[in-house]
Amino acid sequence: MRLYEYVIRRLILMIFVLFGVSIIVFYLARGFPAAFDPVAPYVTPKMTAEQIAEVRRFHGFDQPLYLQYFFWLRNVLNGDWGLAGIYAQGQPVYKVFFNSFPYTVELAVTAVILTVTIGLPLGIISAVKNNKIPDHISRIIALTGYATPSYWFGFMLQLVFFYYFSLWGLPNLPSSGASGMARVVPRVTGMPVLDGLIGGNLAYTLDALSHLILPAFSLAFISLGFLARIVRASMLEVLRQDYIILARSKGLKERVVIYRHALKNALIPAVTLTGLFFAYLLGGALITEFVFTWPGVGQLSLQAVMQGDSNFLLLYTLILAAIIVAANLVVDVAYVFLDPRIKY
Amino acid sequence: MKKVGTEARTGEWAARWADFKYTIFLMRKNPLVMLGSIIAIFFIALSLLATFIVDPNLATPRGYGGSYPFERSYVWSEGHIINWGPGIALYDGPEFFYLGTDRWGRDLLAMIILAIPVDMENAVIIVVGASIFGTLLGALAGYIGGVLDEAILRITDIFLAFPALVLALVFAAMLGRSIPTLRLALLLVWWPPYVRLMRGQILSEKGKTYVEALRALGAGHLRVLFRHIIPNSIYPILVQATLDFGGVILTFSALMFLGFSPTPSLPELGNLAAVGYGHMFDAPWLIIFPGLTMLLIALAFNLVGDGLRDVLDPRLRR
Repeated sequence: MRLYEYVIRRLILMIFVLFGVSIIVFYLARGFPAAFDPVAPYVTPKMTAEQIAEVRRFHGFDQPLYLQYFFWLRNVLNGDWGLAGIYAQGQPVYKVFFNSFPYTVELAVTAVILTVTIGLPLGIISAVKNNKIPDHISRIIALTGYATPSYWFGFMLQLVFFYYFSLWGLPNLPSSGASGMARVVPRVTGMPVLDGLIGGNLAYTLDALSHLILPAFSLAFISLGFLARIVRASMLEVLRQDYIILARSKGLKERVVIYRHALKNALIPAVTLTGLFFAYLLGGALITEFVFTWPGVGQLSLQAVMQGDSNFLLLYTLILAAIIVAANLVVDVAYVFLDPRIKY
Repeated sequence: MKKVGTEARTGEWAARWADFKYTIFLMRKNPLVMLGSIIAIFFIALSLLATFIVDPNLATPRGYGGSYPFERSYVWSEGHIINWGPGIALYDGPEFFYLGTDRWGRDLLAMIILAIPVDMENAVIIVVGASIFGTLLGALAGYIGGVLDEAILRITDIFLAFPALVLALVFAAMLGRSIPTLRLALLLVWWPPYVRLMRGQILSEKGKTYVEALRALGAGHLRVLFRHIIPNSIYPILVQATLDFGGVILTFSALMFLGFSPTPSLPELGNLAAVGYGHMFDAPWLIIFPGLTMLLIALAFNLVGDGLRDVLDPRLRR
């Protein structure tokens, strides 16, 4: 199979997956009107029961579910995703989503950068010093990282760096929100840090950065362990190969062997993991956003679940599923370029 | 006439037993695995004995309604709580609380001990359920192949593309707040990786000569699959299940933390932390200790799982 055939095949499968996801979410959300009443955004407290019934009939919410699904699908293909619930003042859901999405992207990018800059060296060290003290330390960090409840860790960061630091009169980090200042710069990307840079306002940028540190580190701490373990495992695998023995017997320095020869091949699984991790983070780290009251899509989705907003959930899960499937595809294709031995 | 099958079978199971003993031997050499096993066994024992150590009736909030139904002499001083922290006996109260009390005046240590079996039980049910379901589906997909394989894989893909926590949240919101609902919600999102794992195992195992030999001896498909192929490829599933145990506890308690607890006073680690979240800075111990307990449990099982993976890796063995 040629590469482009493979990509096309995967894209077709992606459409199939998205349909599956939308059908499942639709049936879950609309099939239980007690929890997710689709008529809610159109109802005001003053409406009478007959008026509500009229609205329900008008939007087709009294039809059988499969018909409702086709109505929904038709609207979506026409670009109408429906209205969000009261928590978002009944705005169109795509608007609600894309207003918050930049915040999530900002957090995700920062968390990935932190993960890679800490996790990668940790993994390399523990492979080189395999089963020695540094390996055990990195193993404990890694295993603790993914055994930590994320809300607990976020809370501990807030407690120490916000509450106790301010009690002790030390410079402290903010514990909630994405920025503590009024938006003094024009909205270009929607991400406070980037907007501050583009608008040339240093104080705003620094303020936004200081808000970013704790949530991003809290996310990175949980995932950098995975990365370190994967890097270690693939590094050990590579270090056993003949070409490394050859490189060593040529008299190359250990540094050169590890960074020039081994690392490049050992990085391939790390690329996969980082890509997928980034994709998952784009969905909004629900719990971390909740703990740090970060105004991203993860927190919105939590509100949507709590308030029974099926329109937002449908949009959200579909975009997320698309991102995850696309990330998988990108990673698989990236393999071909990273490792010429792999062919499809 | 002597049965042919019996001899072969005892031989095979004897080999598996020897292999198992060797695995235990390798694990005992690894200090981190030993540490993890000891902590894990401690928590398992604690969860079995919890109701004998602590009276479960303590979990019902006592006193009158309102936010802080302590006995007045305990904690009220000029209208606000003065100190309900770890190890501090207030006034002349008859009780001494090592980890302080929560907002209902319950001993936090006792609540944590009562909470451990709740979390462990749910995690066991979810992990066992998800791994059995996923393993069976994966085994069928891998062994039978063809259209069934393709169909199972595509359905798995759909579930893998979901943001797991959101799907579980939607499911729990739909069916109401109860522990069986949460179990079902987590089962729903936890089985797909097992399908992939088992299918891969079966595919590599299916082509081996012993399967062909068994078929030639007249063994039926079900027998070959369940008595030979699955037992031979079960180790990666075991590793995955051990590693998942911690993750399930964390996710289950996260759902509770986000407000899916059936009652606010249920002793469950995530729910205890959720109650403490209302007193983030005036009573940090309410989150610190339940979270620490969760971390220890998850860490113990991760240590065991990680060690198991290393020990069972065929390239590092013998």
